[in-house]
Amino acid sequence: MTTSRITQNMLSRQALSGLQNGLGRLAKVQEQLSTGRIINRPSDDPTGSTSAMRLRASVTAQQQYARNADDGIGWLDHADSTLSSMTGQVRRARELALQGANSGSLGPLARAALATEVDQIRQGLIGDANATYLGRPIFGGITSGGTAYDATGTYVGVPGAVNRTVADGVRVRVDVEGPTVLGPAGDSVFDHLAALSTALRAGDAAAISTAIDDLGVDGDRIIGTQADVGTRTSRLERARTAAQDAELSLTASLSEIESTDLPKATVELQMQEVAYQAALAATSRVMQPSLLDFLR
Amino acid sequence: MTGTFSSLNTALSALRYQQVALDIASTNVANSSTEGYVRRRVVGETLGAGSVPALWSRSTDVGNGVRATGVERMVDSFLEARARSEHARQSRLDTRSAALSRLESGVGEPGDTGVAAALTRFRSSLHDLANAPASAAARSQVLAAASGVADTVRLQARNVAEEATGQRAQLLAGVAEVNTVAADLAATNRAVAVAKLSDSDSSTLTDTRDRLALRLAELTGGHATVRPDGGVDVDLNGVALVTGQQAATLRIASGVTASGAADGLPVSFVVDPAGTPVPGVPEGMLGAVTDLLDHTLPAYAAGLSDIAQRLADAVNAQHAAGYDAAGNPGGPLFGYDPADVAGSLAVVITDPAAVAASGLPGGVLDAGNADLLAGSLTVDGDYQRLVNGLGTEVASVQRQAGAQRTLTTQVDTSREQLAGVNLDEETVNMLTAQHAYEAAARVMTTMDSVLDTLINRTGLVR
Repeated sequence: MTTSRITQNMLSRQALSGLQNGLGRLAKVQEQLSTGRIINRPSDDPTGSTSAMRLRASVTAQQQYARNADDGIGWLDHADSTLSSMTGQVRRARELALQGANSGSLGPLARAALATEVDQIRQGLIGDANATYLGRPIFGGITSGGTAYDATGTYVGVPGAVNRTVADGVRVRVDVEGPTVLGPAGDSVFDHLAALSTALRAGDAAAISTAIDDLGVDGDRIIGTQADVGTRTSRLERARTAAQDAELSLTASLSEIESTDLPKATVELQMQEVAYQAALAATSRVMQPSLLDFLR
Repeated sequence: MTGTFSSLNTALSALRYQQVALDIASTNVANSSTEGYVRRRVVGETLGAGSVPALWSRSTDVGNGVRATGVERMVDSFLEARARSEHARQSRLDTRSAALSRLESGVGEPGDTGVAAALTRFRSSLHDLANAPASAAARSQVLAAASGVADTVRLQARNVAEEATGQRAQLLAGVAEVNTVAADLAATNRAVAVAKLSDSDSSTLTDTRDRLALRLAELTGGHATVRPDGGVDVDLNGVALVTGQQAATLRIASGVTASGAADGLPVSFVVDPAGTPVPGVPEGMLGAVTDLLDHTLPAYAAGLSDIAQRLADAVNAQHAAGYDAAGNPGGPLFGYDPADVAGSLAVVITDPAAVAASGLPGGVLDAGNADLLAGSLTVDGDYQRLVNGLGTEVASVQRQAGAQRTLTTQVDTSREQLAGVNLDEETVNMLTAQHAYEAAARVMTTMDSVLDTLINRTGLVR
């Protein structure tokens, strides 16, 4: 800017606008420091704010996926421990059956005692089959009722999958349907136990031997289901870890885009402060003198 | 030869001239910070001999002193014209930038309070419902989060509508000011013409004239032409607003009613009494407001409504595909008025049990539809694009306004270089005039003494 003639008004106007600009820059840094964010409105960085909005949505989604996985792991853990208990009980029933199969050495009274224990195991298994998680029977499918099996061992659940979404488009089934683990109606572990109990009381060696075979199949099926539950649990755990990792890295990216770089902003604040003070000092020096000071 | 007393007259003319110079200096100092004041300079002229060329007549005069022929306003009409056009552009960009910044801060993005955050919360609540379809709390949470989405969308739509209302009020006030300033300018034109006729000093009136023309340019971008009689004519895109001593009236023909309401048409202006329509969009503040009302604000509102409608339709369609807690098919979740979707979006379900979480009929605790509902929220990307578009526009207009500010300041500085008062300079002028005045007075004393010698002492014998 070539200026041939400078007036007092020009000086004061320039000084004022200079001070305004300095104060404006100071206010900008101050806003960044006090809000802790570089992007306080979309125009601060349109591309950055779009990324920030997308990242925010992703962070929340990953948090939700982790929560979903947590909930699913709760279901499956409960199913796992219930299945362990069932395995034990079925094994015990099979042992009792094996004892009962030695018909020569056992009297009717002893067999009736065995049958009573089998009946109790059956009741215990029905109780296990009605295990609930947060008020819902875990073997009941999508039933809105509170039980999966009624007192007689009949399935009263509604077949259907309870799923947890643990990543975009990835659903993991977290329930175990009663009939798949305990056998279909008419061929279920409860039917086998009832048959065993009857056979023990009657001393029917052939029926006991059939029950032993059936209970073996039942036990294998429960163990197989438990393995499946374990696989699903580890899938959910992997998904949870992945979601938590993703959340961390997304939060880091978000903060990189959106958050104030404190040391940088502090240094900048210091610089702008110095610049502002220099402008004030220069203004006070320039605005002071006039020719009148030097005329007598 | 000069007459005996003519040197006294020469000295007298010098006294008078220096008096004027002192007056001018003091006026300049007095008005050094007056808005629109242009520094004056006295123009002197040597009073020469009566040198009329004639055959037998000649003058041996060496000068008869000085006289002030007039007062010059130190102004460059090209710079003035340039200043008017730059100020018009500046005012347009400033108005636009201020309005868009207000709109932008109302959007509340990126942050935890905007539509994007509400959508995210809505999606989370649907996932929670999918985890616990039997829970009444999760169902209420879904309804609350859906209301959150509707509320934030409505709030943003209301912000846009209120900005438009404010801009319409500003347009009415702007047109009223244009008419007042135009009438003032016509009156000033008349005064300038009269002053020119009577040969009196019109500098102050010309200052006023230029100030009013500049204000008209800021308001409308009106183009000013200086008339031979000293006034200025102003036209808006070729339609005369001020012609000499006549001021026409600017009127809003469509777009905004007299009460400040919108009439659904694009904004247009006519100049009364002839009723000539103003072609195109004016520059200046009115231009910025017209542009905001015709394009920017409706475009944002339409973008928001489009997003709201697609959100509501997608969610309602998915909701209708599911079954509520009692096993009945789901009704619509969101309701809206098709004429103003974003401004009327609301949740119409009040009973938490009516949320259709299940994908299967019969009141079973399936959560398939809650999952699908969460998947049906696909407007995030469009909303981000809308906000990105606004942010880009605000950033761009702020950059433009900043660049224009530099240019306007440059032109103003050039004007100030020429027209501004420098106190040191005026002090020097004052000193010069003072010394010249003293010297002229000394000439008088000297002449007095010379005449005294001539009249009273000559021929006396002591």
